[in-house]
Amino acid sequence: MKNLAKLIIKYRIVIVLLTFGLTVWLGYQIKDLKLDADIINSLPNNDSVAVTYKNIGNQFGGNSMGMIILKTDNIFKTSVLENIKQVTDTLQQTDGISTVTSLTNIIDIKKEDGGIDISNLVDPYDLPRTKSKLDSLRARVMSKDMYKGNIVSADGTSTIIMFTLNDGVDKQAVAKIVKEKVKSMHLPEKVYFGGMPMMMDDVAHLMKRDMSTLLPIALIVIMLILFLSFQSARGVILPLLSSAISIIWVLGIMQLLGFNLDLISSNIPIVLLAVGSAYTIHVINRVNEEKGKNRKKALVRALTYITVPVFLSGITTVFGFSSFIFGAYLTMIRNFGIFTSLGTLFAMIIALVFVPALVSLFSVYRRKNTKAKVKKRENTLMGKWFLMPFSRLIAKHPKYIFAGSLLLILVSVIGVFQIKTSVNMVNYFEKTNSTRITEDLMQQKFGGSLPVFVVFKGDMQSPEVLNTMMETEDYMKKYPYVKTTESVADLIKQMNNVMGEGSKIPNSKLKIQQLWFLLEGQDIMPQLVTKNLNEGIIQSRFGSADSKDMENFVTYMNKFITAHSTKDCQISLTGMPSVYVRLNNSLVRSQFTSLGLAILLVIFIVSLVLKSIRKGFYAAVPIIVTIIFLFGFMGYVGIALNVATVLVASIALGMGIDYSIHIITYYYNDFNETMNVERSIKNTMMVSGKAIIINVVSVAAGFLVLLFSHIVPIQDFGLLVALSMVGSGFAALTLLPVILIMDSRKYLKNTN
Amino acid sequence: MKTVKLSVLISALFLLVGFNVNAQNATTILKKMDDVMFSAKDQSATEKIILTDKDGSIRTREATIKQKGNSMRLFRFVKPASQAGISILSLPNDVMYLYMPAFGKVRRISSSVKSQNFAGTDFSYDDMESKPYSEKYTSKLLKTEAGDFVLQLIPKSKRSAYSKIIVTVDKINGYPVKMEFYDRGNKKFKVADYQFKKIGKYWNASVITMTNLKKHHQTKMIMSSVKYDQGLSDEDFTVRKLEQ
Repeated sequence: MKNLAKLIIKYRIVIVLLTFGLTVWLGYQIKDLKLDADIINSLPNNDSVAVTYKNIGNQFGGNSMGMIILKTDNIFKTSVLENIKQVTDTLQQTDGISTVTSLTNIIDIKKEDGGIDISNLVDPYDLPRTKSKLDSLRARVMSKDMYKGNIVSADGTSTIIMFTLNDGVDKQAVAKIVKEKVKSMHLPEKVYFGGMPMMMDDVAHLMKRDMSTLLPIALIVIMLILFLSFQSARGVILPLLSSAISIIWVLGIMQLLGFNLDLISSNIPIVLLAVGSAYTIHVINRVNEEKGKNRKKALVRALTYITVPVFLSGITTVFGFSSFIFGAYLTMIRNFGIFTSLGTLFAMIIALVFVPALVSLFSVYRRKNTKAKVKKRENTLMGKWFLMPFSRLIAKHPKYIFAGSLLLILVSVIGVFQIKTSVNMVNYFEKTNSTRITEDLMQQKFGGSLPVFVVFKGDMQSPEVLNTMMETEDYMKKYPYVKTTESVADLIKQMNNVMGEGSKIPNSKLKIQQLWFLLEGQDIMPQLVTKNLNEGIIQSRFGSADSKDMENFVTYMNKFITAHSTKDCQISLTGMPSVYVRLNNSLVRSQFTSLGLAILLVIFIVSLVLKSIRKGFYAAVPIIVTIIFLFGFMGYVGIALNVATVLVASIALGMGIDYSIHIITYYYNDFNETMNVERSIKNTMMVSGKAIIINVVSVAAGFLVLLFSHIVPIQDFGLLVALSMVGSGFAALTLLPVILIMDSRKYLKNTN
Repeated sequence: MKTVKLSVLISALFLLVGFNVNAQNATTILKKMDDVMFSAKDQSATEKIILTDKDGSIRTREATIKQKGNSMRLFRFVKPASQAGISILSLPNDVMYLYMPAFGKVRRISSSVKSQNFAGTDFSYDDMESKPYSEKYTSKLLKTEAGDFVLQLIPKSKRSAYSKIIVTVDKINGYPVKMEFYDRGNKKFKVADYQFKKIGKYWNASVITMTNLKKHHQTKMIMSSVKYDQGLSDEDFTVRKLEQ
């Protein structure tokens, strides 16, 4: 270690230049890094729900649905219809949009003077202008389920213009164009934008707003606290600089390897800020501890000691995060695992190589003697008023603290069982956000915005298949959150009625084929059946944003599907509720398998390095306690497990390992010399404890700034990270020392 | 000021006259086109319809057509088997009847379908009818090319799906070579290419290829066994005939 330290100081100029050069080059790559907010991409490509869902995108003109709602006192006015038509035409002429459905282009099948009329509900080139025509349009709309509550609200005050996007287009970009185009029309009606593409655009917008306001504030807070702690510019700049470098390296490499940022990996910078700065804080703290006339020697001495614990905690954290690669089902969690491990590795190397090199470059010769300024560590504010009394308390009452911790764990465990999951994007928005308001409006007036698809494989012109479709639709509509359904079976039934044979599916295939003849070329057909007529879908929307409701609905549908699916008519369910349910379940599963794996790995590595399985277990205790406490807190307070909060446990893990290892290594180092429990605890607290507290307070305070975010999961995330920092730190400074004290006293007792 | 106003008036007058000459000319060209296309007393033929999808897949249909004058037409599908016998009868004043053999029933088709596509093709019901263009559109001569006139047709009816049609007319024979259809957003969305062949004394649109630029879908209609002036009577175009 000593040789390594000397080597670093010898080649410090090369190291510093190389690091800056690499950072500039990788930083330049980041400009091309894209944010992919599409949640469907987080399911693996071979996932059955994802496959069916993507298939609908390919075969039925898009699975991604956007909506524009126009709201006014009465929709049935010529001026309003003109505006609907204007929006419809504009959308149809927008690149990337595959289909548009609105009041002014929706199909209508009606009997007229004994004749048959398959055309538009409203003639777009001859909009109704007289009161009697408008009244009869209203009567027609309100008489059919296909329109009422589907395209026009039951009270006649709102209408939706629905559109689907082509497969493979940049949904966010199209949504943005749609918004701009419609806004520039300055319609007198109230306009709302909803649906997944719109939400994606909104989230991206809010993220940008958060980034530009909150990130600087968080940085200032962290800097302030670091300055108060170290009382030097170096203590502020170096931890932040080293996290920044590791963040830039990781993002640059992501771009080079062709990865996108997604909803989870976009949090990597924040995680690295928390985890990465700790290594540097420990190094600087140690360097500050080693005072002496010869700065170079002092630096070598500091590095000789600190390299082992920092390396150990770094490498354990890397392995801890890498458990997300193997334990996770979701692609986005897996990517998070890969790049957070990598970033942690970088942060550790930077703290051990770049930071000492930089420190020696700037301070070895310039700051000849700082001894005059140095206070005894017992006399610093933190030392005198907190660390000293605290370590005395711990040494005095280890058993009470141990019992208290057990009680806290017990209470938390109960909370863990109440934890909820929610990956629904709607819950990202605050209640006053316009996207959230639109979603609420969609739920109240149009039965929701989440697309549901039931896919039928079989001969789409056979009476049996069409009858099964009708049955499925009736069954679906009995579920409280399903208001409308649409399929080719509906159209055939309506046409059969117009032919005077009753509102039912005809009993012969030939009749169906001939009715079909009249539907051919209608815009709606490619949305409902494939061209070769061997696949068709029921389109519907789901009206609840609650994960439990979605799960119940999927179970409800699967019961029917299992009972009615045959070889000639294979039924399957997909859509956003199915995707969300799958994500929810995988999120929980991923979380627990990954964390379990990570903890086992941590125990293994620490045991190996410290050559003691016992110490390995000790190191894991604060981590386990913090994670249980966190989940318990989430359960009690009602914070759901979502794409952001799912990462908190991993931060608790990353921080917890560091804290444990520093405390354990310092303590045993000291104890093996002195064989004095109280003294070793005091010394551990004074050095490692101090570094931990600085790290906890600065990062926690920085994260509390996120409470002012506009995105709900980010608010929760900020709170939980702060809590996990405090929790890990607290456990490392109370429970862990208590265990160590009890362990050593037992040891002393046995040896005596 | 006065002189300025006067000059404006005079130039406006000239412009108007100029327009008129142009209009006259365009109307004549269009009238001639109508004559070339619709002058036979009656006509019968077999029509093959080839539909090409955007991915290149092809479906074919076949129908027989009987037509008398400009406004009576009987269209009867013979292929594919599932659609054989489906027939559409068009009579004057936009009256249309549909017969479906599987149901054994005749139903009137509402005139509001006119801007809709006809039976999965890229032709609208409007495109299929044989009403003279000069009755439906006002025309303007855009330019004269080597062998063609280029006319702009503006629909007289507000209910048309088109904002305009640009027609290229063969100078010598007077038949259309190409028609470009513009939607209400004034965007070109359909193009029809014509191939004419002289059968007896009439020019026959033996192949019409209609391409929908937006849907990337194409319909080719190929005429064969064309017979003109066989003396079809009104009796051949009745609901009773439709059911046979």
